[in-house]
Amino acid sequence: MRKPKVAFFDFSSCEGCQLQVANFGEALLDILGLIDVVMFREAISEKSDDYDVAIIEGSITTSHDIERIKQIRATAKVLIAYGACATIGGINGMKNNFDLEDIKKYVYKDDAKYFESIPTHPLHQVVKVDYFVHGCPVYQPEFVKVLKCALAGLLYTVPDYAVCTECRFNENVCMYDKGITCMGPVTRAGCNSWCVNNGNICYGCRGMLSNPAQEGQMDILKKHNIALDWVQNKMNMYNKPRELDTEPPANNGHIG
Amino acid sequence: MQRFVILSKKDLDAFISALAQSQKVVAPVARGHNNFSFAEVSSGKEITLKYIPTILPPKKYFLPTQEIITSYNKRENALNAILEYEKMVIFGVHTCDLAGIQCLNMVFADKPKDINYIIRKNKIAIIGLECNDYCDEYASCHVVGNHLPNGGYDLFFTDLGDVFIVHINTMLGDELVNKAAVFKSADAKMLKALESLRQMKHSIFKDEVNVKHQELKPLFDRSSNSKVWEDLNKRCVACGNCTNVCPTCYCFDIIDEPNLDLNTGVRYRRWDSCQNEPFAKVAGNENFRKERSQRQRHRYMRKFKYPVDKYSRYFCTGCGRCSRTCMAQIKLKETINDLAKETQ
Ligand code: SF4
Ligand code: SF4
Ligand code: SF4
Ligand code: SF4
Ligand code: SF4
Repeated sequence: MRKPKVAFFDFSSCEGCQLQVANFGEALLDILGLIDVVMFREAISEKSDDYDVAIIEGSITTSHDIERIKQIRATAKVLIAYGACATIGGINGMKNNFDLEDIKKYVYKDDAKYFESIPTHPLHQVVKVDYFVHGCPVYQPEFVKVLKCALAGLLYTVPDYAVCTECRFNENVCMYDKGITCMGPVTRAGCNSWCVNNGNICYGCRGMLSNPAQEGQMDILKKHNIALDWVQNKMNMYNKPRELDTEPPANNGHIG
Repeated sequence: MQRFVILSKKDLDAFISALAQSQKVVAPVARGHNNFSFAEVSSGKEITLKYIPTILPPKKYFLPTQEIITSYNKRENALNAILEYEKMVIFGVHTCDLAGIQCLNMVFADKPKDINYIIRKNKIAIIGLECNDYCDEYASCHVVGNHLPNGGYDLFFTDLGDVFIVHINTMLGDELVNKAAVFKSADAKMLKALESLRQMKHSIFKDEVNVKHQELKPLFDRSSNSKVWEDLNKRCVACGNCTNVCPTCYCFDIIDEPNLDLNTGVRYRRWDSCQNEPFAKVAGNENFRKERSQRQRHRYMRKFKYPVDKYSRYFCTGCGRCSRTCMAQIKLKETINDLAKETQ
């Protein structure tokens, strides 16, 4: 059987998620046994526009991006959104808190007129996405799971329960017991509560649950004497482009 | 005849160390911030004897959070059952958690029998530990009748100051005692001391809610449409903590995962929760319990109503874990009192 050709592409992002793949070490060798990598800026330079699986990092922030992602979608049989920028807009989404012209002037100063910019979109707001690998950065074991499902033609359903679930399984001392607030209750699991296992809070990088209890969470955060705009910022840090969703993306935490 | 022996406190370490040489021993250990968890120990020194209920109950040893149950091979069209278990002793189980294990035993022995659970349970020895006083203000073990031992253990330790008086309840318990050779027989004075401790507990432990034991079930029978659930709807964030930490919640989901060869793979089960959004979702994205109020009501009914209809037993052990773990501060005792107030 011919090995499926896999290409990596990046849009607006820090490319940290691609580095996560390069960081794989041994597990990478096993995966490379399954696939043929034809395009990957971080690791090799070979170029090709003939591929089966496109793994996309980064969010859509210009109209040129829209053309490019549509082109990739037309070529690829399977499209995987890879990392928070691609799956939920992520940190790039903070731009949507501001007026586009203001933010352009802020970044490019006098040259602002030469740049074209649109609000930040996660991929699924522009093209159909087959698989989502959430996280900033992605959690490697989940990526392997998704890749296996993609290659085997199986559905991968992103957990639509809270990070707290995995955090309880790992028997971490809850941040709220330490008097620290945490975004775990409204953030979708799948990272094995990676950050809390390592002594950090959950920042919510995997995006919100499909039906997050925003009222309840605001209430909890407020009880910890956090100012309202801080609470709003915490909720929006990774999730701002969510308001541009017209309907929840398929497989992204929903039973299809 | 009831059999009691005595273990001097200074010999606890020798007892645990000896046990740990021949099998895995797990016991409550401190995790900081007044949190505890059952974890493997090799000596008595690692154990915290005075602890409040652990983050996860001992349930995790009977029904692991995640457990492979079958492996498959697509090409050969084969499905093989998998069972992983190990012999172990759980030391220091409070009476509320003993009750929790008894509840799970009833459920998993019921049809269809859960073979993995039953075989695993038969490899686990249980050593109980009495609470001479309340663990904290979240506990409600008295109203559900679990502040005193009610069986479900091989050995049961009660702290009498310098010594433990130990009740031997099974042959396995007898073996553990004989093998360790650090136990002495209990004289009449010790038995008297145990009796007066139990007397004293009568004055310490009182119903923790404004509802009597027999009235709990009728209260829930008439509370389906209570406004209290609406209040919980606003506050609950559906994090699932309350059910994951509950000693008598046993729901699980089944997931298939291919191996890298894409031909073979495994099927595992993982704890699920009625508080999770997808729990009652079916094909077509219909959700039978869309509202968090409905899910909260379900959780409570699953403790105070449904199991009473089916097994004639409350499935709330009074351990207080759900209240302790809830960042929205939804407290079981409060919920019960609010329901009672409303339907008086
Ligand atoms: S530490 Fe955070 S993720 Fe873990 S249980 Fe607490 S709130 Fe949830
Ligand atoms: S714990 Fe939270 S912030 Fe950390 S990886 Fe998981 S979702 Fe992201
Ligand atoms: S622990 Fe509290 S917030 Fe979380 S699901 Fe249970 S009741 Fe709701
Ligand atoms: S409902 Fe709460 S108090 Fe009752 S057994 Fe479960 S966790 Fe313990
Ligand atoms: S709930 Fe009761 S039996 Fe359980 S630990 Fe607390 S005092 Fe002991």
